[in-house]
Amino acid sequence: MNLFTKAALAALVGVAPLSVHAEETLKIAFIDPLSGPFGPSGDAALRHWQYAADEVNKGDGINGQKVEIVAYDNKINPKESLVQLQKALDQGIRYIAQGNGSSVASALIDAIEKHNKRNPGEEVLFLNYAAVDPAFTNERCSFWHFRFDSDADMKMNAVTDWLVGQPDIKKVYIIGQDYSFGKAVAHAATTMIAAKRPDIEIVGNELHPLGKVKDFTPYVQKMISAEADAVITGNWGADMVLLVKAATSSGHKVPYLTYYAGSLGAATIMGEGAVGQVKQISEMNTNLETPDEQDMLIDGFETKNSDISYYYHRIFTAMGMFDAAATAAGSVEPIKVAMALEGMEYDTAYGPVTMRADNHQILQPLYMSTFSADVKRDVEDLGLGWASGDGDRIEADKTSMPTSCEMKRP
Amino acid sequence: MTDTATPDFATLSPSRGQKFRQRVLPLIALALILALVPALSPSRTVYSLLNAVGINIVFALSYNMLLGRGGLLSFGHAVYFGLGGYAAMHAMRAIEAGDGLWSGFPVFGLPVVGFAAGALAGAVIGWPSCRRAGTAFAMISLGVAELIAAAGFMFASIFGGEEGVTGDRMNGPELFGLSLGPVSEVYLFIAFWTVVGTAMIFAFTRTPLGKLSEATRDNPERVQFIGFDPVRIRYMVFIAAGAFAGLSGGMAAVNYEIFTPESLSLHPSGFVLLMAYIGGIRYFSGPILGAVVLTVMQSMLSDFTEAWLLYLGVLFIAIIMFAPGGLAGIFHGVAGTVRRDGAGRAARSLGLKAAGVSLLLVGLIVLIEVVIRWSNGYGEVFEPFGLMLETGSVLTWVLVAGPILGGAALVRFVAKTDEGGA
Repeated sequence: MNLFTKAALAALVGVAPLSVHAEETLKIAFIDPLSGPFGPSGDAALRHWQYAADEVNKGDGINGQKVEIVAYDNKINPKESLVQLQKALDQGIRYIAQGNGSSVASALIDAIEKHNKRNPGEEVLFLNYAAVDPAFTNERCSFWHFRFDSDADMKMNAVTDWLVGQPDIKKVYIIGQDYSFGKAVAHAATTMIAAKRPDIEIVGNELHPLGKVKDFTPYVQKMISAEADAVITGNWGADMVLLVKAATSSGHKVPYLTYYAGSLGAATIMGEGAVGQVKQISEMNTNLETPDEQDMLIDGFETKNSDISYYYHRIFTAMGMFDAAATAAGSVEPIKVAMALEGMEYDTAYGPVTMRADNHQILQPLYMSTFSADVKRDVEDLGLGWASGDGDRIEADKTSMPTSCEMKRP
Repeated sequence: MTDTATPDFATLSPSRGQKFRQRVLPLIALALILALVPALSPSRTVYSLLNAVGINIVFALSYNMLLGRGGLLSFGHAVYFGLGGYAAMHAMRAIEAGDGLWSGFPVFGLPVVGFAAGALAGAVIGWPSCRRAGTAFAMISLGVAELIAAAGFMFASIFGGEEGVTGDRMNGPELFGLSLGPVSEVYLFIAFWTVVGTAMIFAFTRTPLGKLSEATRDNPERVQFIGFDPVRIRYMVFIAAGAFAGLSGGMAAVNYEIFTPESLSLHPSGFVLLMAYIGGIRYFSGPILGAVVLTVMQSMLSDFTEAWLLYLGVLFIAIIMFAPGGLAGIFHGVAGTVRRDGAGRAARSLGLKAAGVSLLLVGLIVLIEVVIRWSNGYGEVFEPFGLMLETGSVLTWVLVAGPILGGAALVRFVAKTDEGGA
């Protein structure tokens, strides 16, 4: 290590301080992966946020201010997310949106809680649109965190409510990824089925390594020999599509009840073999009966973003509720917006939703959708899409779960 | 060693002045630079970036104890970083809860806990894996890394599952009057441990064990001839490298106040390999440079271009192909040229070389930025300095081909004249 390298080091370390922009627009920092393997899903969500911001800006914005989404690439890494959070704070941003990965959400909730405690007057609010770990609205709940997606337990609650109306299903097989989320899903499934449909036999409950299995055929063969009538899985990403592919190629024709079959790119890989078989639990699908405005919104979104489908309706819900809360509070000060969001009721195209005051969890109607060839609106230009019939809607109030949250309000 | 007239070791050894200039002065300079940073009153972003840089400097230096100094290619160094970090994290929680002895332990000292845990992990995992060097060692390290990373996701009581383990650093006794709340105080903590870690790792290279580790890298058989066991030397170096990785993990635990299982995984292990290699594994300062450049690239470059991973890859390939000494090697080469040719001649040839490389870079950047926008298909146009570089316009392709051809020609010309002059 000689002096020359030291001098160069010094030059590099003395990076000029970043300029702080003048506060003209209302900025929301979007901290999610925009590069690497999860880049496409982060990018799709970003374009939903941007479209939602455009919609709000067509009016007079939020509380008179135009909304701007500022994207930060966190590489889906919790530590990197904290560096990006500091960048957002330096820009004077007071609202953070994130969804991909409960590990990142956990880091952000913790960091924002501490930041707000240590820097009074500079509070930041976290709008979580997709990280579904139930802990965030139970033992880890925070006043500064609002979740606009139904958590993993609520979704399982809805799945099991739906099972109550399916007397033909007598044997269920549960398969999941071997980590906290997969285990939580399996635990929720076994306890809720035992409570609501004690006659259902759980013929298999299995965890497989996360992201390591390339061929699920042996697992599917076990399901076939266990004579399962339905399969429940919380799998996401490659683990989800590969499981469905193995099922279709093995001719395992039973319903697969999933959380994430509707995510970006999955439909293309699953293909026609999955029609009628794969189901997903979510807050909407694009083939539900809706008012014309919602149809126009979806059309507008898909015209502008021709390569992706309208998927994150909850982002529009989040933006709408943010707008309503800021109007009600007469301010965009996070603490006032947070107070106004608590207990807020809001009408969406798919029914009324409520933001619970006791744990900041949204209550929204959920739908069990089936992958179908007979649809008005398809996904990914396949001619295939998601549809649901009677008995597939679970009302918002029925998704509510008891919470262990002891909210500490400022 | 061609000069057979060299009399004895006493005349070969460096003078006191040289020793001071080469061994002590750089460390003092590092400490001074780090101490002067708060005077510039940097923003929170710069502070948190510097904290990440400091952690990565110690981590990359500890990795280079294996790769550069010991000749051991490891694909699982993040295991020791992570285990050290987790140990410090659990200790931080114990301080918060006020458990027994821990209630009197300052958070400032947590890197020591990480150090001990890293050493312990190195001692346990190193026992089987250090019996072999070379490819076998690399493969074992890869296997161990996968094993620990998988275990990290499965054992939620220790590793906290997906959401990890969190703690609060503002507990326990305060040392040096630092509450460690604001990021500027955490910076002082990181700076202190960065200097301590760097000094200790440098001191390690001067010990007989450090020297023997280099000898084992170069020729293990000869080391055996002079009466040392290469397996034991590797094992001891491995423990030390694990300990310093654990130290940086402890720094990370205090800085981020969260540890998640992916910090044990192959991804950070690969990143530390890149930091050491791009910086230059043959120089002590190499990993420091690599840590600075790559950490800044990772956190800042993604604001300007979504193709930042591509630039990282191009940088890595370019270093391997054209500058195997890494960034530190480039600096040493420049300094060597200046000394050999005198400032005037060196400035001319280096200036031409730098111009050539910059031209190549300009062409490459234009190419990558135009192509990535085209491949995204949103109809975005690359507009540097107000120029509209559309895919179809002639100007775009002139700006791609011109600089690349010109730069390549210039670099070739400099190489030719240098050969002719030598």
